[in-house]
Amino acid sequence: MATNRFFGLRKPVGRRQRLVSAFGIWAVFFGVWIFASSAGLVNDLLVPAPQKVFATTWDLFWERGFASDVMISISRVVGAFAMACAVAVPLGVLMGAFPAIEAVFAPFVSAWRYLPAPSFIPILLMWFGTGEAPKLALLFIGVIFFLITLIMDHTKNVREELVETALTLGAGRSTVVMKVVFPAVLPNIVTAMRQMLAMAWTYLVIAEIVASTTGIGAMMMRARRFLKTDEILSGIIVIGALGLIFDLLFALLHRWAFPYLRKS
Amino acid sequence: MTGQSTLQIRNVSKRFDLGRGRSVQAVQDISFDVEQNSICVLLGPSGCGKSTVLRMMAGLETPTEGEIVIGGRTVDGPGRDRGMVFQAYTSFDWLSVRKNVEFGMKINGLPASERKDRTAHFIDLVGLTKFADAYPSQLSGGMRQRVAIARTLANGPEVLLMDEPFGALDAETRWLMQELMINVAEQTSTTMVIVTHDLEEAIFLADKIVFLSSHPGRLKEEIVPQFKNGKRIADKEKVVKLDGYSDLEAHLMRLMRQEGRENE
Ligand SMILES: Nc1ncnc2c1ncn2[C@@H]1O[C@H](COP(=O)(O)OP(=O)(O)OP(=O)(O)O)[C@@H](O)[C@H]1O
Ligand SMILES: [Mg+2]
Repeated sequence: MATNRFFGLRKPVGRRQRLVSAFGIWAVFFGVWIFASSAGLVNDLLVPAPQKVFATTWDLFWERGFASDVMISISRVVGAFAMACAVAVPLGVLMGAFPAIEAVFAPFVSAWRYLPAPSFIPILLMWFGTGEAPKLALLFIGVIFFLITLIMDHTKNVREELVETALTLGAGRSTVVMKVVFPAVLPNIVTAMRQMLAMAWTYLVIAEIVASTTGIGAMMMRARRFLKTDEILSGIIVIGALGLIFDLLFALLHRWAFPYLRKS
Repeated sequence: MTGQSTLQIRNVSKRFDLGRGRSVQAVQDISFDVEQNSICVLLGPSGCGKSTVLRMMAGLETPTEGEIVIGGRTVDGPGRDRGMVFQAYTSFDWLSVRKNVEFGMKINGLPASERKDRTAHFIDLVGLTKFADAYPSQLSGGMRQRVAIARTLANGPEVLLMDEPFGALDAETRWLMQELMINVAEQTSTTMVIVTHDLEEAIFLADKIVFLSSHPGRLKEEIVPQFKNGKRIADKEKVVKLDGYSDLEAHLMRLMRQEGRENE
């Protein structure tokens, strides 16, 4: 009976059970970590205790100006991502709406998608030096081609009947694209942006670890030189938290901007 | 029902190219007229090319041979003079019912005050005044189809083309919608072409039934339901009780069965 209730085959679990389960897995994780470090099972230098990591995080923010590094990282992600969207949204929609435009850009875009963005780091450094430009360029290259492809595919999936309805109401090509195709695909565009923003964070960390003196990744590389594992772990936690916050912001944006997707 | 024809279908054939040298003949050498202000029903077994004929009238497909003439001009692409209602739901989900109905008039540049009046009138005509500010996702299937009909009518087309518009509705809603269409035909003097494979619906709505034979679609028979004496009767129950109703139904059943057998 009880197993049926809490362990049903493909039955959704209740909110309470979800929360308890989620809390449980993290409790186990931190439990093992605390136990391992306090019992001396792991080298204190390589794996500091969690309470130490949290204390360090606090200290970094309030005593040592870590916030400015965090702000630099955020502005890099947001800046490069905004530039990528400014190109990818119109281009992706046009490619999805007009096969002639797809025929021109698709062969180009899909080739670039198979080139891992980090392989451009050496050349970007030679072209742009060590300022902000190479980091922004890496994020831009890393995100834009996937974003274009996703948006194009979503645009193609806009139902033909909607387009034909607009045509028989007297709409011309540009009206169909602006007034029907674009609003129809917009929720999916926001979802695609949400997915790609997660990828932008990945490239940010790579850029900052490889070639930067500022930002979260650079702080972690500095900490490595002084064997400060607690600071490295702090950096990881902050990156994770930021990723989560941005994801939540996008989820909120989606809910707020598309109320008509909710039933009742 | 003046004798003048609004739509002329002249020796129309349609062959679909399936690629790799294969093709399918969907419609072969069909000719018939649709009189002004009349309701013409296209009937025939599944796959006989009813939708194809309707889509060619709308300008969404081009005939391979022959031509379709509306008001003296050869159809060349879709236009606001021929509104279309599809079987699948075509509500613009991001717009309220009111904005949906207003859509065609807005893109065609009607002044706002006239738009407002017509929108209210046609929302009322399909009985959705209470839901004018709802989003389509909050409506039932039948209500969404009524939105589509109101949107098309509000745009003031000369010809209303409908492809199995009530196919997905339950019996009761279907019945209401059929009676609604009779009322609309009386009140707006719109010419209608309606595709269906429901015999009852065909007899009830039609001033003329155009029966297509199966694959490739040819004109089998043009039938005027004489028993209605050239009148439209908005009460379905009365029509069913008229002398001659069951004879016509039996005749259509025979045609359907014949075609079905030849198809095997
Ligand atoms: N876009 C298309 N490409 C290729 N073949 C098509 C296309 N549209 C229709 N056909 C073919 O043309 C024939 C007629 O199709 P159509 O949809 O007009 O029939 P229908 O009478 O509307 O059938 P139903 O009652 O099932 O809706 C079918 O054999 C169909 O496979
Ligand atoms: Mg059909």
